[in-house]
Amino acid sequence: MGNESFDADLTRSAHGQIAKERLYHWLLFFCAALTVFVTVSIVVTLAVDAVAFFRQVDALSFFTGTEWESSRGTFGVLPLVTATLVVTAVSAIVAIPIGTAAAVYLSEYASDRMRSVLKPALEILAGIPTVVYGYLALVYLTPWLRKGGLDLSMFNLLSASIMVGIMIIPMVSSISEDAMSAVPDSLREAGYGLGATKFEVSTGVVIPAAVSGIFSSYILALSRAIGETMIVVMAGGMQARMLDLTNPFANLFNSGQTMTAAMVHAVTSDATGGTPEFYSMFAIGLTLFFVTFSMNLLSNRIAARYREEYQ
Amino acid sequence: MATTDESTGSWFGADGQVSQVRGLLFKLSCLGATLLALGLVLVFLLYVFNDAVQPLTADTGWLLTFVVTLVLPAVAVGVYYYTRDTRAGEVAYTALGLPVATTLLAGGVVITFEHIVSPHAWFALALSATVAFGLVELHARTRTAGALERLAVVVLVPLLALVGVPGIAVDFPVETPLLGQELFRLSFAIPELVPSLREVILALPVLPTAAISLLLTFTLPIAAAAAWHVRRVRESDRDGAIAGGATIVAAGLGLVAAPLVDLSATTWVVLATVVALPVGLYVESVVRRDVGVSGLAFPVVVAAGALIGAFLVDALGFAGPDLWLDWDFLTSPASTTPRDAGIYPALVGSVMMLVVVAVAAFPVGVGAAVYLEEYAPNDGLLGSIVDLIEINIANLAGVPSVVYGVLGLTLFVRTAGMQSGIVMVGGLTIGLLILPIVIVSAQEAIRGVPDSLRQASYGMGATKWQTVRNVVLPRALPGIMTGTILAFGRAIGETAPLLMIGAAAVVRIPPDTFFSLFSAMPRQIFAWSKEIETEFRYGVLAAGVVTLLIVMLMMNASAILVRNKYQRQN
Amino acid sequence: MPDNQFGRTVDAVSRRKFLAAAGSVGAVAIAGCAENEASDSDGELSGEVVVKGSSTVYPISVQMQERFMEQHPNVNVTVDSTGSGGGFQNHFCPGDSDINGASRPIKSEEQDLCAENDVTPIEMNVAGDALTVAVSPDNDWVDCMSFDELAQIWQEGGAETWSDVNSDWPDEEFVLYGPDTTSGTFDWFTENVIGEAGNHRTDYEPTEDDNVIIEGLENDQYSIGYFGYAYYAENEDRVKALSVKEDDSSECGEPGLQAASEGTYPMARPLYIYPSEEAVQREEVYEFMKFYLENSSADWIADEVGYVPSSQDQVDENMSKLDEAAGN
Repeated sequence: MGNESFDADLTRSAHGQIAKERLYHWLLFFCAALTVFVTVSIVVTLAVDAVAFFRQVDALSFFTGTEWESSRGTFGVLPLVTATLVVTAVSAIVAIPIGTAAAVYLSEYASDRMRSVLKPALEILAGIPTVVYGYLALVYLTPWLRKGGLDLSMFNLLSASIMVGIMIIPMVSSISEDAMSAVPDSLREAGYGLGATKFEVSTGVVIPAAVSGIFSSYILALSRAIGETMIVVMAGGMQARMLDLTNPFANLFNSGQTMTAAMVHAVTSDATGGTPEFYSMFAIGLTLFFVTFSMNLLSNRIAARYREEYQ
Repeated sequence: MATTDESTGSWFGADGQVSQVRGLLFKLSCLGATLLALGLVLVFLLYVFNDAVQPLTADTGWLLTFVVTLVLPAVAVGVYYYTRDTRAGEVAYTALGLPVATTLLAGGVVITFEHIVSPHAWFALALSATVAFGLVELHARTRTAGALERLAVVVLVPLLALVGVPGIAVDFPVETPLLGQELFRLSFAIPELVPSLREVILALPVLPTAAISLLLTFTLPIAAAAAWHVRRVRESDRDGAIAGGATIVAAGLGLVAAPLVDLSATTWVVLATVVALPVGLYVESVVRRDVGVSGLAFPVVVAAGALIGAFLVDALGFAGPDLWLDWDFLTSPASTTPRDAGIYPALVGSVMMLVVVAVAAFPVGVGAAVYLEEYAPNDGLLGSIVDLIEINIANLAGVPSVVYGVLGLTLFVRTAGMQSGIVMVGGLTIGLLILPIVIVSAQEAIRGVPDSLRQASYGMGATKWQTVRNVVLPRALPGIMTGTILAFGRAIGETAPLLMIGAAAVVRIPPDTFFSLFSAMPRQIFAWSKEIETEFRYGVLAAGVVTLLIVMLMMNASAILVRNKYQRQN
Repeated sequence: MPDNQFGRTVDAVSRRKFLAAAGSVGAVAIAGCAENEASDSDGELSGEVVVKGSSTVYPISVQMQERFMEQHPNVNVTVDSTGSGGGFQNHFCPGDSDINGASRPIKSEEQDLCAENDVTPIEMNVAGDALTVAVSPDNDWVDCMSFDELAQIWQEGGAETWSDVNSDWPDEEFVLYGPDTTSGTFDWFTENVIGEAGNHRTDYEPTEDDNVIIEGLENDQYSIGYFGYAYYAENEDRVKALSVKEDDSSECGEPGLQAASEGTYPMARPLYIYPSEEAVQREEVYEFMKFYLENSSADWIADEVGYVPSSQDQVDENMSKLDEAAGN
C-alpha cells in the first residue's frame, strides 16, 4: 500500500523536488526574517517621530531635565526615568527574594506531586493579564495599605510597584528554576558524597552553578517591570514627579508617572496633536525600547554562558 | 584536591544538629515564599470573586440549602476519593471538568455561528471547500502532472470554489516612503466576473434550515473524525461506526427535541457535538478501562445537588445572591447603568481578535522556528544573519507591549491604510507581539525532537522538507501547541496595544466581520476602571475581571493538559 | 515495525496532501469570510459612527450612544476616550473617526493637520462644566470669592495664609487641593481665573481623582480646592461650595448648572464636539449628530452626567451648522 506513493514520489522530476525544497527553504527563511522586519519597523516608526520631537526640543535638556510638564512645554525625562526606576527597584525587592526562593524550592525540594501542582499554578500567575493586576492594585491593595496606616494617595507608586513585583515573580522563578534544573546531577551527587546536607548543596553548589541563569532571569524580569504599562497607568497615577531624595517615602506614597504611563498619557490626554507634547511619546518610546532591548541583550549574553557550560 | 577538601571541610559543618535545623528552616522559607506568591494572588482573586458574585447577599436559608444539597455531598464524596480511591478521584476531576470546559467551548462555537459565520454561510463554505478539496485530491490521483500544473490546480480550484473571480477595485496612491510625496495613483476597477461556488450555493432558492446545515457541515465532519479516532484506537470498524453514528443521532435528535427543552435547534446541535461527544467518549473509555469508575458519580452528585438545591430554594422562597456576574452580564452590551452593563460585544471581540492572532502568528512563528532549528546555516554570511535573527527574537520578546501598540498604529493604520480600531488591526498588532514568544517556544519543542529520528528519516532518502514535515513537526506538535496556547493566553489579556490602535472603549454591537470595529475584554475592563460610581468599580469591574480570568484559565489549563499528556507519552 | 514505518509514510504523504489542500482552502476561506459585509434589507438606518476624543466629553457621548442605539439598533456607534488631542491627532484628522469630543477649542496645529487630510471640523459647543470651588463644611468665614482672590491663592508665589488675602479671615495656612496639571480643568482655571498660562502654583496637592479632593476638604478646616461640578453634585453634603464673582462689581453667583447656563455663574467651562463635514454627509452620522444636538438640552445631562445642558439657542445654532454642513 505504501508503494504507490513512493512510486509517485519517484516519478516526479528531481528538478521539481529541488525547486520545491528551495521554495520551502526561502519561505521559512522569510518567516524568520520577518522578525527583523518587526524590529526595524519599530525603530523606524519611533525614530521618525522622535526626530520631529527633537527638532523642537533640545535633546540635551530632554535627557537631563528634571521637570516634565508637557502641557507647559517642559520636557525633562528624568522624572519619568526615576519613577520607572522606583517601580523597578521596589518590584525587584518583592520579586527577587520570593522568586528565587520559589525556584530553589521547586528545583531542589519539591516532591514530584508538589511540583506538578505548584509549577502550573505559578505559570497561571504569569498568565494573568496586567490589566487585572492593575485593577487589583487600584481597587484592593491601595485601600488595604491605607487601612494599614500608610498615608497613601489614591494613586501611588507603592501599590503599583508591589503589584508589578508580584507579576514578575513567576518570571524569576521559572527561568531560575530552569537554570537550577540544568545543573547536572553529578555536581549535586559530588556534594552529597562530600557529606554535604541538602541545604549546603542547594546554596553552595546549585545556586553558584546556576548563577548566570539566575541573573539573567533577574534582568529579564526587571526589563519586564520597566516596560510594564497597565499596572502603573491604573494604580500609579499620571503626575510626573522628580525623585525626591530627601524624602524617599514620599516618592512611593504619592502618584508618579513612569515612561510607559507617559506614553499612554500622551495619547489619552488633551495634549495638542502635532505638538512636541504629543511627539514626546515617540521620544520616550525610543528610549524605552533601547533600554529594554539592551537589558534583554545583556540577559541573553549571561544566559548563553550557562548554556555553554552545562549543555 | 586537597585544598578543595580543606575549604569544603570548613563549611560542611560537623555539627549535624545545627545544620539540620538550618536546612529545615531554609526549606520552609523557600516553600513559604512559593506559597506566599501564590497565596497573595489567591487572596486578591478571592476578593474579586466575592465582589463579582457577592455570596453573602443571599438569604441564609439559600446558603444553607446549597451547603446541604451541594457542598456537603461533594466534599464527602471528594474525601472518599482522596482517602480510598485516588484513581477515581482523577476520574471525578476530569468528569466534572470536561462538561464545564466543553460547555464553555460550545458557547464560543455558538458565538461563532451567531456573529462570524452564519450556519448558512458555513454550510456554503464547508460544502464548496469540500468540493474544492475533492477536486484537488482527484487531480492528484488521476494525473501525475508537473509541479506547475499541480500548483495551478491547488491555487485556482479553491479560489474558484470560495471567492470566484472577484471584482477588483484599486485606488492606491503610490508615495515615496517617509516623505509621503505622491508619485502616481494606481486606480482601476474590474467588476466581478465569475461568482464562486460558495456564492452560488448561498443564492440557491432552497437551503436546508440552519440546524440541518450545521448537522451536515459541522457535526458530520466532527463525528467522522471521532469515528476515525475510535476505530484507530480500538482497531474495530464497528466501534468507530457506533461512535460516529451515535453523535449524528444525538445531534439530529435536536431537530425534534430541542423545542421541547426550550433550546434552539442549532444550539442543541452544537451542544451535542461539542459537549456530548467528548463527554460520551470519556465516560465510555472510563467504563471500558474499568479503573476508577466510581469517579463518574462525582459530576452526578454535583449536578443533582445543584438541581435539588435550586428546586428547594425556589419552593421555600429564599433569595439568591445579588450576582454581578450573571447571564445578563455575559449577554448584554456595555451600559452607563451599572446593573445593565454587560461584556458580550467585548467577549465576541476578544474571540475574533484571537482568531486573527492565531492565523497570523501561528504559521509564521512555527515557520520561523523550523527555519532556525532545521535549516539555518551555522557559518558564512547567512550564518551571521541567522545569529542576528536569533538575538533579535529573544530581545523582541522583552519589548514593552505599549511600543507594539505604536508600531501597530503606524504599520497597519497609517502605512497599510486599514481603519483604526478594527479586529484585523488589533489581531495583527497583538500577533506581532506574541510572535517572538511563539517562535521561542516552538524552537524549544523542535529542539526536543531526538536527532536519531531525523537521521532515520534522511537514511530512508527523505529530503529535508519531508523530514521536517513527516518527522519533526508531528513529534514537536504538542510542545508547540502548549507554548502557543500560553502565548494566546497572553494575547487575550493585552490592553496597552489596544489603547494605541484605537480599539474603542464602548462598542455595543459585536463585530461581525474581521473588519468591524471592536472592543476587547481588557479594553472594556480598563474603561470601567475609570468610572466614578463605586458600583462600577466593585461590581461590574469585578464581574468583567472574573470573565476574563475564566477565559484565560481555560486556555492555560488546556495548554497544561496538552503538555501533561505529552509528557506522559514520552 | 517495518509495517509500522510504511504505515507512517502513507499516512504522512496523504496528510501532506491534505495539508496542502487544506492550507490553500483555509487561506481563501478567510479571505471569503472577510467580505460578507452586514447589509440592511429592511431599509432601516445602519452603518458606523466612530466617536473619539476627550475623556471629559466621553460621559455625555456614551449616554447619547446608548440612547441613540435604542432607537437605531443597527447603527454601530462606538465611543472611546482618547483625550482631545489624541483624538484629533490619531483618529479624527487622519479621517478614521467621525466625531471628536474636546474639552477645549481645536488648536491651530490640529486644524492644519486636519486640513492636510481634507477633513473639515465643525465646532459645536454642546455642554458645559461648572467648575466648583469648595471649602471645608467647618469653614464659616467665607461664602463668596472673586476671581482676583482666587488668583491670589492659586498663582505662583501666591498667598500662604487666609489672612494674606483678606485680613478678616483667620491667620492660618491654606491646605490646597486641585486637579493635576494634565487635566483640562487645570488648564481652564489657569487661563481664565489666574489669567496667565503657566502661572498656576505647584505646591498644592494635585490629584487625578476628584474624590481625593472631596476627602481632603472634608477633613481639613483650612482647606480649599476646585473640581468639576459632577463631583460636587455627588457630594453636596460633604463639602461647602463657594459662590464666585468675576470682579468686585459683579454679583456673587452660586454654583449650579442652571446658573451656569444662564450666565450668572462665571466659572462655566464649555465642552465641544467636532463632527467632520465629510462624515455628516453620511446619513447615520447626520442622524446621530441630530440626535446628539437635540438631546444636548435635555435634563438628563444635568441629572445623570452632572454637566450643564445646552440652551435652546445653542441647539438651534448647532443644528443650523449641521444642516448647512450636510447640505440640507
